[in-house]
Amino acid sequence: MSLLSSLRSTVSSLLRRERVESDTDEELRAHVQNRADDLLRLGLDRAEAQRRARIEFGGYEKFKEECREALGTRFLYALLQDLRFGLRMLRKSPGFTTVAILTLALGIGANTATFSLLNGLVLRNLPVPHAEQLVRFGAHDPGDDYAALSLPMFQEFSRSQKVFSGTFAWWGDIVLNVETEGTLSRADVWTVDGNFYPELGAWPQIGRLFSSEEENLSAAAASQVAVVSYGFWQSHYGGAPDVIGKMLKIEGIPFTIIGVTRNRFTGMSATLEMEISLPLPATHLLGGQPDLQKYLKRRDARWLEVAGRLKPGVTLEQARAQLDSLWPGIREEMAPPDKTSAELGSFHELQLKVESGAKGGSLLRHRFEKPLYTVLAISALVLLVACVNLASLMLARAASRSHELSVRVALGAGRVRLASQMLTESLALSAAGSIAGCVLAYWASRALAVFILRQIYIVPAELNLSPDWRILGFTASATIVTGVLFGLAPAWRATHEDANAALQQSARTLGGGTGRLGKGLIMVQVALSVVLLASAGLFVRSLEKLHAVDPGFHTRAALDVSLFPKPGGYKNLALVDYYRELTDRVSHLPGVVSAGMMHTRFGNVLEWTERARIAGTEAQGQEADFEMAMPGLFETAGISLLRGRSFNWQDDEHTPSVAIVSKNFAEKLFPEGDAIGQHIDVLTIRKWQNLQIIGVVSNASLYDIRKQPPPTVYLPATQYGDYMGWSHLLVQTTFPLATIAGPLRQTVESLGHEYVTSIKTVRQNIDRSLLQERVTAMLSGFFGALTLLLAAIGLYGLMAYTVAQRTREIGIRLALGAARLRVLKMILREALALVLAGMLMGLPGALAASRLIAHMLFGLSPNDPATLAFVTSALLVVGTLAAYLPARRAMKVDPMVALRWE
Amino acid sequence: MTSQAQILPGTLDLLILKAVSLGPLHGYGVLLRIEQISHGALLIEQGALYPALFRLVRQGLLKASWGTSDNNRRAKFYELTSTGRKRLRQEADGWNRLAAAIASALDTQPEEV
Repeated sequence: MSLLSSLRSTVSSLLRRERVESDTDEELRAHVQNRADDLLRLGLDRAEAQRRARIEFGGYEKFKEECREALGTRFLYALLQDLRFGLRMLRKSPGFTTVAILTLALGIGANTATFSLLNGLVLRNLPVPHAEQLVRFGAHDPGDDYAALSLPMFQEFSRSQKVFSGTFAWWGDIVLNVETEGTLSRADVWTVDGNFYPELGAWPQIGRLFSSEEENLSAAAASQVAVVSYGFWQSHYGGAPDVIGKMLKIEGIPFTIIGVTRNRFTGMSATLEMEISLPLPATHLLGGQPDLQKYLKRRDARWLEVAGRLKPGVTLEQARAQLDSLWPGIREEMAPPDKTSAELGSFHELQLKVESGAKGGSLLRHRFEKPLYTVLAISALVLLVACVNLASLMLARAASRSHELSVRVALGAGRVRLASQMLTESLALSAAGSIAGCVLAYWASRALAVFILRQIYIVPAELNLSPDWRILGFTASATIVTGVLFGLAPAWRATHEDANAALQQSARTLGGGTGRLGKGLIMVQVALSVVLLASAGLFVRSLEKLHAVDPGFHTRAALDVSLFPKPGGYKNLALVDYYRELTDRVSHLPGVVSAGMMHTRFGNVLEWTERARIAGTEAQGQEADFEMAMPGLFETAGISLLRGRSFNWQDDEHTPSVAIVSKNFAEKLFPEGDAIGQHIDVLTIRKWQNLQIIGVVSNASLYDIRKQPPPTVYLPATQYGDYMGWSHLLVQTTFPLATIAGPLRQTVESLGHEYVTSIKTVRQNIDRSLLQERVTAMLSGFFGALTLLLAAIGLYGLMAYTVAQRTREIGIRLALGAARLRVLKMILREALALVLAGMLMGLPGALAASRLIAHMLFGLSPNDPATLAFVTSALLVVGTLAAYLPARRAMKVDPMVALRWE
Repeated sequence: MTSQAQILPGTLDLLILKAVSLGPLHGYGVLLRIEQISHGALLIEQGALYPALFRLVRQGLLKASWGTSDNNRRAKFYELTSTGRKRLRQEADGWNRLAAAIASALDTQPEEV
């Protein structure tokens, strides 16, 4: 018989279960009746005939059960019965059921939420057809992640390669000023080539995508058309279909909207919707170059990101091998002929990077992959603790049900059947917990994703958290494993039920109870809690240490004002005069102590580093952080000038290039002697040669406060026109942010060239740079608190049960003259002994776990004594509190009542 | 009915198939038919008939349908399917070979060795 037909018969008999049951019954009864009739005919009297017929038939229920087995329904029949009974038992103890479901909901919910985030960020492929075939490639400087190609390089690759069925290129994401329907906002702008949409299998929600005419790379001028994202269409046009044909302006340049991409289309990005896309030739309009063909034909300018779609059967390794073999030839061909040998040197060092593009690019992945895995490990530990906790609660329940179980054994229930009854109950609980957990996870993962994304991105970004087979599989296996884990102990105990002993046993015996297994479980729970709490504690303490770091500049009372040009705001503007005027006006606002411009901002995760050396030497050079500063910055930031002079407004493009260096930079390059008046060259940027050091300032960690202050070089932005726009205004103020924000915005607006995109305290920006530590500490702190709560519930449950079981014994002790305080101490001592034993078990695990996370800690040794002391005392306090209530009840036992009991 | 033999394990299915092959029967009828064709020499635990019948139905060797018995009671009748008929032939051959082999083994005289 085939498996399928067997399955079908099982299912059909299950569906008609009532019917099959009654049919079987009827058939068997008919047999007995027929036999009785025959016996009657043989001359027996009616009653005797009936009796004989039944005896000859044999065990009626036994054969009926065998029939069910023959039908294949016995297993399911038993399961349904167990389930019904289990649900009835759970309904009868709503307190236990509520605690169990809540615990499981939190445990499974935490795991599902964390896993959903991890899935969205790290595991999930882009929502395009056959994302696994996508491969990104590009050339990068050694030591720099940014990989890109020039258009001629890309075209050469596309022509020569044999591994891709198609290649495509794009440029972006650039945040620019966009005017829609007369309102100005900022949006994420991209340009894409003609293959981009077809290769990604994209089609428009409404309108159309770019035509080959609009993507013509040999045209004389770019077509000014745009495709907007579904989200942009909704937020800027309310989803109106007449958006097609409307005009929007990007940096003042008009583009006609021809189409809207479908919801959730994110191109090659994992998180960003492509708000506005333009045909590739339009890039030159935004770049401000007048000649399109000259712009596109630049052979050595790496500005395009590119990807290919693997032909069926070709692997990433094969693609890499072929592209790698093509690269030296292409690099040779594209080498700019008019460059110096030094520049050619760095061009020839360019390497090709070939990697899977299946998951799409994301800034977040690199920062959050490890923290999320860590949080997942911690939440798995929480679930394990919850399992152990529930196992001991279930065990206590099973113990109080031992009479029921014994009766069932005595009536002939098999041990396997009893164990499966227990497992069915635990699985029903974990299923209920898992459903509640999924609701929780849905909400929590979205809240967390929004929290993280809002801190990182200024443009709309989203993580795809919708359930897929991975999330479902993960949650389902978590549910089953959990149910089996915490059902195992009571099931095991159920199979060892001795009917005789249990039936004769009453509450009269001493001890007994959940016994060694229950105590063992509590110890395991405490041990796991120690591991978890120690890790959580280390993360929280790390964050505290990070908050206490002095980065070498003011973090409080300093505001970071981000400035953005109005469309064409920098056109024909004398930037030096403008910023001088702006700084001057802002400094004179009431409540402002000082103000200064800087190019990036404190706490920027994209650290700006270059190599510098003493001018005219051939040294390797010193790696240093770089920053552009304008007059007033050092005073405002609280970076003190130790020697020499600060920048002033007379340092401009017509005066000799100058630099200010940090104390440690000066000491590194000029160990003996004075740095002031010396000259340095920047190796990595050819134009920056022979800069005269005019001042030395105190050390500071501008970008990454986790690092010891690195050697730093400050250049006057006033000498480098390219570095003056899109700047940050740093303001030292005695007013709160809310008060000063308005006047600051007005002052910037009143000059008519820029507007304020955001005002943050420097502290907020630093916090933003510590986001992964904050998320890790926040979540692990929450899980730690949850664990303590579970430990309290578990211990309370066990001790309350023990006291209830021993009421009679305690009564006897009291009747014999034991002091009540001694009874209290006895119970407390027992509880604390368990906690201490558990802690001893857990300590090696905690030390091992902290080694694993050592590289994620800041300013702490993995076996930080303060953390361990805190963890152990927290557990002891919680243990004492949890045991105190039952202990008090034990102390209050009335000997007379206890002795009369039963 | 004095010298009844306990049937060998595994032979009940064969007997049921044989009994049903002689015409559709309800459960009690199967019992009577076996008693009849074995001349009352075989002792069958009556209840054990039903799990065996259910199993044979599930294996597709028998098919069952509800009908009315001679005494006007509703009863479930069993019939042989074509696979059942084939199986009966195979099993009967197998059994005959086995029985012949064992009989000849038991008949062996000392001088034949």
